[in-house]
Amino acid sequence: MSAHEKLDTLQAVELAEGIEIRLRMAGPMLRAGAYSLDLLIRSTALTVGGVIVSFAGIAIGERVAGGVMLLAWFLLDWLYPVVFEAGKRGATPGKRILGLRVVQATGSPITFGQAVVRNFLRFIDGMPFFTYGFGLTSCLATRRFQRLGDLAAGTVVIYDRVVSPQARVPPPPLTAVPLPVGLTADELRGLALFRERAGLWSEGRRAEIADQAAVLSGATGEVGVNRLMAMAHWIQEKRRER
Amino acid sequence: MTSGDFEHRNMARWAEYESLVSLMEKGKAGPEAERLPHLFREMSLDLSLAESRMYGSHITERLNELVIRGYELIYQRRRSGWEAVVRFVATELPQAVRKDWRLFWLCNAVFWLPFVAMMLSAHHDIRWIQAVLGAEGMASMEQMYGGKEEQLSHLRSEYGSNFMMFCFYIYNNVAIDFRIFAGGMAAGIGTLFFLLFNGLHIGAAAGYVNHACDPESFWSFVAGHSSFELLGMVLSGMAGMRLGLAILRPGRLPRVRALVAASKDALPLIYGAALLTSLAAVVEGFWSARGIPSEWKYTVGIIGWVLHIVYFSLAGRARHAA
Repeated sequence: MSAHEKLDTLQAVELAEGIEIRLRMAGPMLRAGAYSLDLLIRSTALTVGGVIVSFAGIAIGERVAGGVMLLAWFLLDWLYPVVFEAGKRGATPGKRILGLRVVQATGSPITFGQAVVRNFLRFIDGMPFFTYGFGLTSCLATRRFQRLGDLAAGTVVIYDRVVSPQARVPPPPLTAVPLPVGLTADELRGLALFRERAGLWSEGRRAEIADQAAVLSGATGEVGVNRLMAMAHWIQEKRRER
Repeated sequence: MTSGDFEHRNMARWAEYESLVSLMEKGKAGPEAERLPHLFREMSLDLSLAESRMYGSHITERLNELVIRGYELIYQRRRSGWEAVVRFVATELPQAVRKDWRLFWLCNAVFWLPFVAMMLSAHHDIRWIQAVLGAEGMASMEQMYGGKEEQLSHLRSEYGSNFMMFCFYIYNNVAIDFRIFAGGMAAGIGTLFFLLFNGLHIGAAAGYVNHACDPESFWSFVAGHSSFELLGMVLSGMAGMRLGLAILRPGRLPRVRALVAASKDALPLIYGAALLTSLAAVVEGFWSARGIPSEWKYTVGIIGWVLHIVYFSLAGRARHAA
């Protein structure tokens, strides 16, 4: 694994199909947010349910109503995350709202057993005193942000859909300029990446980077940038049906 | 071929794949779902081509997402039905317990030794028990088992009490099992602590009742559900110790992989613990407090223990050998 992959939240996973997919791991902050949302949903459900049950208690008996509430509390406490994460979407409602999903470390959906293990061990992750200190420490110490429950179950929390977070400024209109010389695959890749990321940089920075490739473009500054962009366009554009 | 050519040439196929995947994600696909594996393999090829030819993140990110969605559809697991539940109860659970017989006896020892020691200490020095139970604990024991006229059946006379107590036992006792299991993640210390603590506390309660209350009302109450509940607790202890041992003694595997393997082994035990403790809650909630002669209750309690011993030592053996 090369150094730049180590620093990235994108983790490559090789499938049986002989390809690599990239999973984007979700960090502790976002997961804490999802947990808070779930807490809100659960306590709302318990409050609303409590009001309904206590009205029903007039008919079914106060003690029966109390029992139903205890049972509901137990189910919401222990089985709510298990049922949702073992379900089709692999996420509790809170995680779904924030676009997260629980998968196996191999990228495939988790089993019921894995959902049980990772959520029952929440009790330990939440220690000491429900601060999630253990879970956070484990998240920060592991490459894939796994809390202890995740480690034992072999699961990771990922972004459900990998979206590139950059708001890309579309590159300026271009004319295609053929490459003057043949380039290696790595050089081509560098050129393509330069074009993709150009929108993220200031003009001065763009020129500064383009100057490194002045041998290729034969110019420096703004002209060099534009020529590099044009070459990048040339290697990527659709050419067959012209 | 440039990336533009590549995209243009395959656009239609990608669109077909994407619409099929979207349909299947909603569970609405018909016979055309059979094309998914074929399309998925083509998508996989496209993704690896796009990556190796460096067509840029615009294409690879899109293909990556499409491939992940298909992968999740193809590798999703079928929900196992009642058959699996029956197989679990009939063979897998007793087999799992027998496989970890050392842990079974360890967890029993960690619970029963302090239990017996605490109970017998009443004959020598009641202060140990008083220290463990505290004033409140002793008061509640006296309230429940103080004498004939204050028996539990009176506390349960209000309508719905049985159901409420059943729910309380689920809420409290099953959660205790789960915490015993989770405690294993702290290198087994949490598990051992909970088992020891329960042994001391329950032993103290039993000793105190023998010393100061009406023992018959206590023992006849707990007899019926004792086997379910205590064995359920031992099973959850075994599950926790599986995790703990994987951390302490991973053997030839790296610790994390040992932990994953151990949690798989622990699953039948934790399911079994939940099952037994839920059954205990049923018995304890609806039957144990009924006004039945004590002899009957003791008989049922003994039958329960015998059945459990037979079940855990014999069930699932024949099929195991075959």
